[in-house]
Amino acid sequence: MSIRMEQIQPIIDHEYAYLMAEHPHWSLTKGDQDLELVAHALRVLLHMKTTPQHPDEYLALVDCQHADGGWGKMSSEKTSAAWVTAFCALMLIRGNLSLKNPRIAESVRKCVRYFLDTQKEDGKWSDPSWADLDAVSHPVSFFDVLMAVGPNLVDAPTMVRVRDSWRKGMKFMLERQDADGGWYDPEFHPTGVEITAHLIQDSIVADLVLGDEHQVRNCCQKGVMKLLSVQAADGSWDGENVDHTMDCTRSIMLVCSILGTRAQCDRTIERGIEWILKHKCEKGWPDFPGMETNLERTCDGLDTLLKYKTYSQPVTTALVKLWGYAA
Amino acid sequence: MIFLAKASEIPEGERKLVKVNGVDVAVFRQGGRFYALNNACPHRQGPLSRGTVEAAAEGAGCFVRCPMHGWRFDLATGDSNGRPANATVYALDQRGEELYIEI
Repeated sequence: MSIRMEQIQPIIDHEYAYLMAEHPHWSLTKGDQDLELVAHALRVLLHMKTTPQHPDEYLALVDCQHADGGWGKMSSEKTSAAWVTAFCALMLIRGNLSLKNPRIAESVRKCVRYFLDTQKEDGKWSDPSWADLDAVSHPVSFFDVLMAVGPNLVDAPTMVRVRDSWRKGMKFMLERQDADGGWYDPEFHPTGVEITAHLIQDSIVADLVLGDEHQVRNCCQKGVMKLLSVQAADGSWDGENVDHTMDCTRSIMLVCSILGTRAQCDRTIERGIEWILKHKCEKGWPDFPGMETNLERTCDGLDTLLKYKTYSQPVTTALVKLWGYAA
Repeated sequence: MIFLAKASEIPEGERKLVKVNGVDVAVFRQGGRFYALNNACPHRQGPLSRGTVEAAAEGAGCFVRCPMHGWRFDLATGDSNGRPANATVYALDQRGEELYIEI
């Protein structure tokens, strides 16, 4: 690794201070918020290990959960949507590993019911704002985490239903991988870069459960190879898209660590990180180089650096924890 | 109406980001026609000025696809073809070499 941790840590500290200074713009304790931004910020708290200092942020998320177990795009919105509900659910189940709050545990159980109630017959979840593959991968990821760290949160019959639902969701995803290793959606993502990055990180856990049933390792390895093949010479992905470059860089870290192919991916990851560092604003990250800082992207940037910090210490379990797939 | 840009600043097939009264406006020139949309995608505020321009399969109309999560909008109407929100389109008037919009 040519990027030194002494270089990364001050940036993490600086950006975290900036995020906390922006607290009124992302905290539910300050009023109505965009819940995807809230979830991004809560993930930073998790990975900075500062969740225990911010229980109110997680409880405020519980307070705006709908009766059906879901959340809408904005905290004030009354209609539930699958994608944002999965993101909120992930933050609550992971946050409660340290908070151990019974209200949060009950909220997570409501999330479980929401996903069991809303899955379609073919295994997918639908969300008009997202491609089907994305709308499926996030609930699957929530169930990944539930099975890994929270099986005692729900009763045994519910856990049986969760496993069945998870298998159907996973099957929906794995069967739609293209022969070239990517996942595509002609309506939302013709290039497939972001979906592929999301799906390999959400699928890799299935290797531990499904064994060779769907050749999950092979699917994920093909997905990684696809992403490696479309990285630009400057280290970015998808036309200098900061979000997608962060997605790819993080996802490859996890998958290659589990597959044991770090040597093959180290330089790609490093180039991604170098590009991300190069295109930082004075405070935070933009959506594209030269644009103004975007708070959600800043959370992604922090998350990426925190994951890279862990990746650079080759203990796979520590890295897996940053996806919630281990307690 | 407010002055937006000179037509010559936006060659055919290109786009330009212009700030008007504090609003980021993405201006596109396609098929000899100019289009002006709010730059922020109504989904996650992705920059439409960085999007991919696509022609309709049947040859009618042009679209821009947001680079963040792929929502696609009709450049003329902002219609998102069933997504939960449409892009904001501004009325545009070409007066000789100069473009004006209503914002």
